[in-house]
Amino acid sequence: MTHAPADVVIEYAVADERPRRVWDSPRARGILLLLPAVAVAALFSLIPLVYLFQISLTDGSSFFFDAEYTSANYLEVFTRYLPAIGETVYLAGAATLICLLFGYPFAYILIRKVRYRELVRTMMTFPLFGPLYLAFGLFYILLPTGPLGGLFASFNINVTQFLFSQGAVLFSMAVFTFPFMVMNIGAALSNVDPMLEEAARTLGAKPWQIFTRVLFPLSWSGIVAGFLMCFGWNLGVFAQPQLLGSPKEQAVISLQMFYKGLVQFNYGLAAALGVVLMIMAFAVTWVSLRFSRGALGA
Amino acid sequence: MATMAMEATPAASGTSVRSGVRWLGNALAHGYIWAWLAVFALPFIATLAYSLRTPQGEWTLSAYQYVFGSFRDNLLLSFQTTILTIVINLLIAVPAAYAIVRYPIPGKSFILSTLNLSLYTPAAVMGISLVIAYAFLFRIPQTMTGLIAAYVVGTFPLMLVPIIVALRDLPMVFEEAARTLGATRMQTFWRIEMPLLGPGISAGVLLTFVIIFNEFLVTLFVAGPGTTTAALRVYNLTRTAGFQPSTAALATTMQLVSFIVVLTFFQFFGSRYLKGTYLI
Repeated sequence: MTHAPADVVIEYAVADERPRRVWDSPRARGILLLLPAVAVAALFSLIPLVYLFQISLTDGSSFFFDAEYTSANYLEVFTRYLPAIGETVYLAGAATLICLLFGYPFAYILIRKVRYRELVRTMMTFPLFGPLYLAFGLFYILLPTGPLGGLFASFNINVTQFLFSQGAVLFSMAVFTFPFMVMNIGAALSNVDPMLEEAARTLGAKPWQIFTRVLFPLSWSGIVAGFLMCFGWNLGVFAQPQLLGSPKEQAVISLQMFYKGLVQFNYGLAAALGVVLMIMAFAVTWVSLRFSRGALGA
Repeated sequence: MATMAMEATPAASGTSVRSGVRWLGNALAHGYIWAWLAVFALPFIATLAYSLRTPQGEWTLSAYQYVFGSFRDNLLLSFQTTILTIVINLLIAVPAAYAIVRYPIPGKSFILSTLNLSLYTPAAVMGISLVIAYAFLFRIPQTMTGLIAAYVVGTFPLMLVPIIVALRDLPMVFEEAARTLGATRMQTFWRIEMPLLGPGISAGVLLTFVIIFNEFLVTLFVAGPGTTTAALRVYNLTRTAGFQPSTAALATTMQLVSFIVVLTFFQFFGSRYLKGTYLI
């Protein structure tokens, strides 16, 4: 952000002849250029979220006729929907932990050993296409008539026990956020000089010692950033529990919010659930931005 | 691994065993990567296989007649909305990135956080807040305008960030040289900076395409009967009709189109411009 002074110099050198008007100043021009983006963000992100908060303080759909302000929605969220919040946090945490356990070795091998990184990046775009196709594909794989059905049947395992189970939900959630975890850890690991590991090895450190004493402390920020980023994404999980989960997993906040708002038209309660989920996601993001300073150009 | 080998073997055959262990370690490491690559592709391959099979276990392409039949309008709508979103995103994000990097603006980091707000909002929260605001505040429920606005606000930060990064990496000297040689501000922008920023901008275009083309969650909240995109159709059919080969055919087509776009992009620009946004 230190480019500005040079720009100002050019401004004077060229625009010398013309009379100076308000919009000739760099600051005014900058604000003018920013205006469309700020307007869109304010109209369709900020105002709806503030409005959501206001609706969350009204009873049912009363706001439309004669708003009755009440805190009953939040009371209900923190009593009846406490298990839903717990389930959401549990699923997000468990899926993110799976991501971390499998993602760390993946990122390490990718950075240190793999030369066909272009191929890996290309394949890693498949989860980016969305959790919907992921859940759809996994559903077919787990069907008794699906490709795994015959294989599992020969081992006398009923494959349907994996369908509509926590395992299937967690697996699909973990695969969806896997690239985010690998991205964060990989970025941290690529800054670790391989010479440090070699030095530790020469000095007689065992592989696990190299990990706990050298690699882990040096890639700590990447681990935290990746964990929080995946956790934040997983908090808003929607399609995987609905398509692959049992009623227990379908208690997640996003799904409850959809049912309350768009099926039962209880806008007040849906808005309160939304506000709680939003606060959780923002808190996670805020902490993660502390750790991955500058990752998003901020 | 090398230390283990040293301890375990007599000195004479030490070297060959050690290299054997190293070979095994490398094979395991690469096997691990390939196993995950298979996991990434597995849902797609399964969907593809399902779309090609009849209940009797024969292979057929007949499910794909629906893709160009009853799903045709949904697919066309998906292409339309995606391209419209990309164009609007560009018109908004390029000036904004330029202003943020090159102009002195008060409260810059605060503005940037506000712009990125939607990036951190869970999709379902964005959906419910927009559906309520559209219905009772803006009075544009279930319209195309609302849908496009939702897409734009959700994805223009993804376009903004790569352009900001590219613009920061671009030295001022090119711009200054052009300006001292008498080029106007507009000429400098179109003839000097745009070509140099191209790959950074294209990375944003790719991300927007892949995400909006396959977006179903915000769409589920915001879309009306006349604005069912192909991704939402996949979701709706899965909810109402179960897992049909025709739905699988549509899902396969969507993923195939997305993948071809990604491959084309990597062919032209490589994957390094996606650094920090999605991939390492």
